[in-house]
Amino acid sequence: MLDWLPENVSVFGEGVDHLFSLIYYISVAIFILVNAIYIAFIFRYRRKRKGERAYYYHGNNILEFSWTALPFALFLFLAFYSDGIWEDIKYSDKTPNPDLVVEVMGQAYLWHFRYPGSDGIFGRRDSRFMATTNPFGIDPDDPNGKDDYVTINSMNIPVNKTVLVHLSSMDVIHSFFLPNMRVKQDAVPGQWVDVWFNSIKTGKYEIACAELCGSGHYLMRAVLTVQPQADFDTWIDEQYGSVSAALVAAGSPDQKNSSAPAATTPAVPTK
Amino acid sequence: MEAALQTDTHAHGGGHAHRESFIRHYIFSTDHKMIAKQFMFTAIIFLFIGGAFALFIRWQLAYPGEPIPLIGQLLPSTWVNADGAVTAEWYTQLLTMHGSIMIFAVIIPLLVGTFGNFAVPLMIGADDMAFPFLNMVSFWLFPLAGVLMMAGFFVEGGMAAAGWTGYPPLSAIASMGQTLWIVSLFLIGFSSIIGGVNYITTVLNMRAPGMNMFDLPMTVWAVFITAIIIVIGTPVLAAALSMLFMDNFLHTSFFMPADLVVATRDMSRTAGGGQPLLWQHLFWFYSHPAVYIMILPGMGVVSDVLATFARKPLYGYKAMVFAIIAIAFLGILVWGHHMFQSGMNPLLGTTFMVSTMVIAVPSAIKTFNWLGTMWRGQMEFTVPMLNAVAFVSMFVIGGLSGIFMASTPVDIFIHDTYFIVGHIHYVLFGGSLFAVFAGLYYWFPKMSGRMFDDRIGKWHFWLTFITFNGTFFPMHILGVGGMMRRIYDPTVYDFLKPFQPMNEFITINAMVLGFAQFLLVYNMVYSWYRGRAAKRNPWRANTLEWVAPSPPPHGNFDVPLRVYRGPYEFSSPESVQDFLPQNVPPEEVVAQRARHEKRLAASQTRDGGSGE
Ligand code: HEM
Ligand SMILES: [Cu+2]
Ligand SMILES: [Cu+2]
Repeated sequence: MLDWLPENVSVFGEGVDHLFSLIYYISVAIFILVNAIYIAFIFRYRRKRKGERAYYYHGNNILEFSWTALPFALFLFLAFYSDGIWEDIKYSDKTPNPDLVVEVMGQAYLWHFRYPGSDGIFGRRDSRFMATTNPFGIDPDDPNGKDDYVTINSMNIPVNKTVLVHLSSMDVIHSFFLPNMRVKQDAVPGQWVDVWFNSIKTGKYEIACAELCGSGHYLMRAVLTVQPQADFDTWIDEQYGSVSAALVAAGSPDQKNSSAPAATTPAVPTK
Repeated sequence: MEAALQTDTHAHGGGHAHRESFIRHYIFSTDHKMIAKQFMFTAIIFLFIGGAFALFIRWQLAYPGEPIPLIGQLLPSTWVNADGAVTAEWYTQLLTMHGSIMIFAVIIPLLVGTFGNFAVPLMIGADDMAFPFLNMVSFWLFPLAGVLMMAGFFVEGGMAAAGWTGYPPLSAIASMGQTLWIVSLFLIGFSSIIGGVNYITTVLNMRAPGMNMFDLPMTVWAVFITAIIIVIGTPVLAAALSMLFMDNFLHTSFFMPADLVVATRDMSRTAGGGQPLLWQHLFWFYSHPAVYIMILPGMGVVSDVLATFARKPLYGYKAMVFAIIAIAFLGILVWGHHMFQSGMNPLLGTTFMVSTMVIAVPSAIKTFNWLGTMWRGQMEFTVPMLNAVAFVSMFVIGGLSGIFMASTPVDIFIHDTYFIVGHIHYVLFGGSLFAVFAGLYYWFPKMSGRMFDDRIGKWHFWLTFITFNGTFFPMHILGVGGMMRRIYDPTVYDFLKPFQPMNEFITINAMVLGFAQFLLVYNMVYSWYRGRAAKRNPWRANTLEWVAPSPPPHGNFDVPLRVYRGPYEFSSPESVQDFLPQNVPPEEVVAQRARHEKRLAASQTRDGGSGE
């Protein structure tokens, strides 16, 4: 059964998979035990002769107590054992220092990814500026935002680096699902949530939406490209080049009213 | 409490015939047995509607974009495309309606409405429910709500399409169908609350003389505790639905943050400042307990059926009662396990994981006690027993899959995948629905006065059991593979393409599973008119409903009742038979024994030559 899991390429994914298999083996053991007894009873204690009496017996408190205490101990053990792994993945004070920060915005039915430009600083966001042409609501007055670049349905990250994602949505709830990274986090409008992961293997992986967001829910697919650092740097420079080219093309440095940050954003299909 | 006073004095004679008009008798009836039948009839219709929806869903998942066979071309163009294939819009409506119908219009009305109404008054020796008129109101709200929900078919934009969980903002920026869904659930909730109050009052006040709480059969205990959960939880759902209604209609912002960008709706009228997660908290505060509303009565029915056909006292009766109470109490503390990945503070994930793991304990207790009941029994595998036995083993699978999801790190991966779909079907179909089948077959002789056809019943059981597992077990594997819930076309994703053969396998099983249910209907309808006449107590059971004639007349009992013992005195050495009804006086038991021994002695001496 566990062979069906998509390949894990994330650092904390090992913990998740380990727990998955632990619970799997415990469950299979319990399942076999209970059902073996059950089936044995079904055959052993079926009525064979008319008039025979069942054993008149109302129960046994010691047994009752032990089959309360044993599952209790087992389940509590599982809870506390799971919690260690959960805390490492989700608690913000345990998140490792990120090497790269990316903002991700869900929109029916696509994903926007925003990288800080060459300055490494994200321009200020304000939800009032949010529009299909400016999904992150980047403040046009903030010079830091001028070189931010936004991609659609494709995300690039360097291998073996901690990536921190700031996640939100501009319309309904979506869920940012990276099967190979063992990442799933709902993107809730009006709220920013942090998720991190660290891929140990280069390659192309799929990103999906896991929360019903409308009839195009199934189309919300993006591609994650995990590259060696050098390739990633090249990619980043290309992106940056295109942003500055767009800035230059837009002419005057005075861009107060234009939406330069969205220059690399192709027209977004509205639903 | 006029009705309560009646019980002591109220001993309807068998010939006591009310002359009722057709309308009073079949439509606006206040008789609990007729109301139970009405619930059953309506819910089974919805079972087939919801089932048909599921088959459309399955068709699309196995053969994405291919025309629906036979009827594809006949369906309206708002549902299917020119070829006759399901459209993505209709697909989303179908999955929403399938979930909503099955939960609110099938399982709850069958378990609570049908068995609660039919079995509770009979099992406690009452002549009717405490509030017969309210009972009628409670029923009539249900078809009304069902029709409202289905009315989405006829409005612009179609039926509700935000899933049975109806998460805003999606559900708050939706079409008319969603509003109908909200109103419909509100009415169903209203019906539930009325019913709940009625069950609580009935069980507390109308038990036969001599019957104390620990003489109640498990079915009655379960419905009683379920009614308490309903009365606590449903008002919260009603409040949440009202807020959602206002967000939709009056542009309030209970669940709406500011500055959403939505093409289909003018958001400038929505001030914002609301919280989408608030809905999830309120919804699951009701809906987690609601999953217990959907299983506890089933557990009760199964306990009664198992004890009856194992001819053994229910193992650990009191432990079973306390386990139900524990589930009800803990059930109120675990709603957050549906929200581990919702963006709620991960610290809450920790707390809700612990409480969720703890609630698995009473479920385990119940399982072990069922095993204990079968131990050294004399089991008779009648059709109700087969279904009850299947319930236990399917429930074990559902409970174990629950542990995976309760473990927060594992839930990161399997949340919102087909693993969840597998889980809910193992508990709601493998659990609740098998319990419904067990109960329907078990009480059929009492309800109709006739026996069902055993052979068809067994065919129905085995076909259902096999194809149920063929349909839903592989869904766990799909979930492990990462297949998301509620997607229209899995082949969009490369990592899901290898699962297409499994999707086809599931669909084929689902088809057989769906059509097998016609056997149930055929059996019921045919046997209702043509079946062999049923005796009063065809299963040789102990509980009071078997004292009444089959079917019971208006007012139920034709003999005065008094209860002397618990409901599970099977194979008691006191009795000459292998059962001992709750209402047989101890003197009578002793006398029976004496007569029996005398007869035995007589037959022995007869061998020696001298008769009596
Ligand atoms: C051993 C006991 C159980 C445990 C530990 C358990 C645990 C869980 C958890 C953690 C979830 C949320 C998973 C997720 O969405 O990520 C869940 C979902 C669900 N459970 Fe259970 N469960 C148990 C028994 C039951 C029973 C008895 C029922 C119903 C009769 C039930 C019905 C459901 C339903 C309907 C959902 C899905 C809701 C949805 O998202 O649509 N569960 N369960
Ligand atoms: Cu989605
Ligand atoms: Cu739950």
